[in-house]
Amino acid sequence: MKFAIAVFSAAHAPSSRRALRFAQAVLAGGHEIVRLFFYQDGVYSAANNIVAPQDEQDIARQWREWVSQHQLDGVVCIAAALRRGVLNTEEATRYQRSAVNLDAPWALSGLGQLHDAAQAADRLICFGGP
Amino acid sequence: MSTLHVVSHSPFTDSRLASCLRICGADDAILLCGDGAYGLHNPALQAKGVKVLVLDEDLLARNLPLPDWADSVDYPGFVQLSIDYDKVNTWL
Amino acid sequence: MSKSLLVISRQAPWSGPGAREALDIVLAGGAFDLPIGLLFLDDGVFQLAPHQDAKAVQQKDLSANLQALGLFGIDDVFVCSHSLAERGLISPASAQPLDSAAISTLIDRYDQVMTL
Repeated sequence: MKFAIAVFSAAHAPSSRRALRFAQAVLAGGHEIVRLFFYQDGVYSAANNIVAPQDEQDIARQWREWVSQHQLDGVVCIAAALRRGVLNTEEATRYQRSAVNLDAPWALSGLGQLHDAAQAADRLICFGGP
Repeated sequence: MSTLHVVSHSPFTDSRLASCLRICGADDAILLCGDGAYGLHNPALQAKGVKVLVLDEDLLARNLPLPDWADSVDYPGFVQLSIDYDKVNTWL
Repeated sequence: MSKSLLVISRQAPWSGPGAREALDIVLAGGAFDLPIGLLFLDDGVFQLAPHQDAKAVQQKDLSANLQALGLFGIDDVFVCSHSLAERGLISPASAQPLDSAAISTLIDRYDQVMTL
């Protein structure tokens, strides 16, 4: 079974952790994830400047490491990310901003990537809110 | 065609569960997770007569008893539900 | 054949970028010629209220994006009649009103659904 997973909440929201645990269970069950797409506040789940207290779960880091480990396609919506100040080197240079807070394994791209993933998948599953 | 509705907002502060119950079909199911688990105390949920599931970690975290008219699932169970139903409608 | 997607929009136009970002998903799908439906539910029906003035709160006018739906080939636009009545709104010409049972049937018709 092919899954497209869309995340709409920041790393500190319980639903971001829930999305990660669900995605891990998808792979553990022998299924495929065609793409992870981060939209709205979900772009904050991909930001690399989050500093979690030492005794708390660092979900943004867990996302990053897990997506890298499994070489998954992790796409962050560029319009949603720019609006919220989540920038890779290219965009920070383009808009002359001092901070870069997005890098590998994440790629910035447009909403077409969400539709493309939904078309390629058997199931589209969204996570967001609390 | 059947839909698995996923609700993670508490029904005591938010209208998502009420709207979900209003448009939910007879073959649909509702999965409560996060603060949505507090919805187990919502009498309208049982009265609707659709299948109700709760994510087990959210029951445990909140010390909520599982009523006999609902079932709990773990993450592999959640994945299986998303396959068993034709689509998943998360109330973001 | 392309999979169809129903987007259920339930944010008021003045509660942040949520309503616009939901509409952007619909318009992007239309741009790719995908079969997309749009349903306004709960506070989402406020997007269809007449004579709103975005300039009063220095916002961009969402109604231009709503008018673009047809240009993007999005003809399946629906509105929840219960949500309209609850909020004292009358049915707009731009969306087909559906009662709760009809919405349940509508969701069944689509391959995928997202509510935001």
